[in-house]
Amino acid sequence: MKPAAPLLPLLPALVLLPMALVLPGLLHGGGWELLGAFAAAALHPSGDPLVLGSLVGGLGTTVGMALLGWAMSLLLGVPLGLLSSRLLWRSLVGTALPAELVRRLLAVPRSIHELIWGLLLLQLVGQQPAVAVLAIAIPFGALVARVVSDLLDALPERNLQGLLAAGTPAPAALLTALGPPLLPGLISYGGYRLECALRSATLLGVFGLGGLGNELLLTLQSLQFRELWSGLWLLLAVMLSLEALVSALRRRWSMPARLALERRQPVGRSSRELVLAAAALVPLLLGVGRALAVDPAALLHWESLPPLPTGGWQAALQLPWLTLVGETVLLTTLAAALAVGGAPLLLLLVAPWPWGRWLLRLVWALGRLWPPPLTALLLLFLFKPSLWIAALALGFHNLGILGRLLLEGVEAAGPEREDALRSGGSGARLALLYGRFSGLARSYLAYGAYRADVILRETVVVGLVAGTGLGSQLRESLSAFAFDQLALLLAAYALLTLLGEDLSDRARRALLRP
Amino acid sequence: MAAPSPAPQPPAVLELRQIHVPGRGQPRLDGVSLQLRPGERVALLGPSGAGKSTLLAVANGLLSPASGQVLWRGEPRAKGARARRRQQARIGTLWQDLRLIDELTVQQNLNCGRLAQWGWPRAVLNLLLPLETNACRDSLRQLDLDPDLLEQPVSLLSGGQRQRVAIARLLRQQPTLLLADEPLASLDPRLAKELLELLLLHGQAPRALLLSLHRPDLLEGFDRVIGLRQGRLQFDCPLAALQPQQLQALYGESAVPVPHPLP
Repeated sequence: MKPAAPLLPLLPALVLLPMALVLPGLLHGGGWELLGAFAAAALHPSGDPLVLGSLVGGLGTTVGMALLGWAMSLLLGVPLGLLSSRLLWRSLVGTALPAELVRRLLAVPRSIHELIWGLLLLQLVGQQPAVAVLAIAIPFGALVARVVSDLLDALPERNLQGLLAAGTPAPAALLTALGPPLLPGLISYGGYRLECALRSATLLGVFGLGGLGNELLLTLQSLQFRELWSGLWLLLAVMLSLEALVSALRRRWSMPARLALERRQPVGRSSRELVLAAAALVPLLLGVGRALAVDPAALLHWESLPPLPTGGWQAALQLPWLTLVGETVLLTTLAAALAVGGAPLLLLLVAPWPWGRWLLRLVWALGRLWPPPLTALLLLFLFKPSLWIAALALGFHNLGILGRLLLEGVEAAGPEREDALRSGGSGARLALLYGRFSGLARSYLAYGAYRADVILRETVVVGLVAGTGLGSQLRESLSAFAFDQLALLLAAYALLTLLGEDLSDRARRALLRP
Repeated sequence: MAAPSPAPQPPAVLELRQIHVPGRGQPRLDGVSLQLRPGERVALLGPSGAGKSTLLAVANGLLSPASGQVLWRGEPRAKGARARRRQQARIGTLWQDLRLIDELTVQQNLNCGRLAQWGWPRAVLNLLLPLETNACRDSLRQLDLDPDLLEQPVSLLSGGQRQRVAIARLLRQQPTLLLADEPLASLDPRLAKELLELLLLHGQAPRALLLSLHRPDLLEGFDRVIGLRQGRLQFDCPLAALQPQQLQALYGESAVPVPHPLP
């Protein structure tokens, strides 16, 4: 019994069965009025000018941090990406060995979530705006580097060899042969990273690194739901405009969509606009940096670290490592299954209703923008803390990201086969399942595999609040200044993410094999 | 109710009354009326852009006309979702691009014809297990296809095999109205003739067949011919009564599109 293509994206949704069994047992009885009040406040956000002023200020800080962190990650990532390209080293020096070395080194910053970077930097240099910017720039830069080098190494080598064989100097040949085909992929990915940076900046704020996230947390903790919703709606407006802008630019410069099956097109005449846009970014970034009072020099004043606890590594090694790692892996699996399987399931459920997709769009947008630790806190109104709650919160956030992607894919897939089934009398849901999911299944799951890898990195975010996995231990070790434990925990995280990355790469290659 | 003496005439399988579909500039369909009785096999002729595809889209319910009435077996478009699905299930369309689902096997594609009747559980089971194998084998045999093809993905079939699988799916649906949009356009002459024979064979009473063609050289076997030009009905007559002048007028100056020698 081998499930056919359209069923594959739905299989992960089977996780809902154990979930439905477990969750009722985790209810602690109270909290329904609170949740009701929270939901009701969505329609009556606070309009108090004082509240709005402070929220807008926080939002400005968040957007500024995102923008600066993003720009810095590109500045770091593109050169590092070139340095870790096998193709580049082979053509220039004759050996790809240095590329391998840089690649391995970059795996470390990449495997550690921006929140951990943020908390570590906070310990080292104290509270200041530059911390959040750097925390975003380090892992994002390493991620950009990986994508740049992968894009480069996937380009056909023939054009380059043609130029080299004709006696063109290597640097000129590289620029001519690889520059134009690299650009569309790079810009498409760059736009996506800007969306990620906004989400990350909000999240960092929740953990006290400045910006709107902090206000969201405070209003939630003090149960000021109407003020909370004012902040959420503001953030939603900014996020949706940013996403619309990015996708409009992507279309305008004819970049490939993220789940596109067609071949990418050359940039051509849009390159001038591109240069202009990049030039306009420079004064904007400088202005933002000044407004946020980011001072790179302040990063150099390190606070002295507490001494290592006596007794050496013994204490750190005694941590319940197996449980911690096991919980982290389980949390990842549950959250990924919820997100990957939930999106197509929900899309099928609402298929017969014209307003269904708009409702889903709204719910998914809220999922994307709502930082997972806040969802976890909200869920704790109703449930006892547990791994399942953490998985629910993390799954909801990623459902927002995957759902949007799936919907884009579904709408780009063309209506022909669905129409054919409908005019033969199938219902809306079956026509969607058979007609559209069939063609999308593999590329969607391949993206899901990549997302699972991101979720593994993100477990730390909910672990910190829901008390599960390596993340919860990390919080304890951080607040106890136990740097030996911290070092081991980071190493464990890095190792786990690298393993996960390898697994998800394999899964993706298997799925996309024709 | 009334006098039982003459056998009551069954309602037309399809009836269009004064259909109007607006387009950019000139209307795509302009006051088109026609009737298909059970057992009638009708060719819809016209140059490209005449409105043949629009007419078929109206006939299979995909497109609602701006004005005019469409009746299937004497009934207008059903209001409720369930009744509408039952109505659609009686309309079978052979699409020019076939619209098979490449990711599925032949058997799963054939069973797509049953989705209107099946509920959720069976539709999902179809994606897991081979269902109704005997019926599927029979429908392949009817079309001179090897029943062992059932487990093949349709993406591995040849062009001619795909055509036949699409027709087999159509027959699995058990429709009363068969619609075909230029099914012969991209086929070589031998395949085109075979396919046409199959469609004419399966268009017998109680079914009816409406098939669009842009060249009039394959009319043998049809009962009636309808000419469409610029969205208007030019003629609607039995094949035997069709005059060459009518065809010439239909295709205008260029007359019957004979293959041009290359310049």
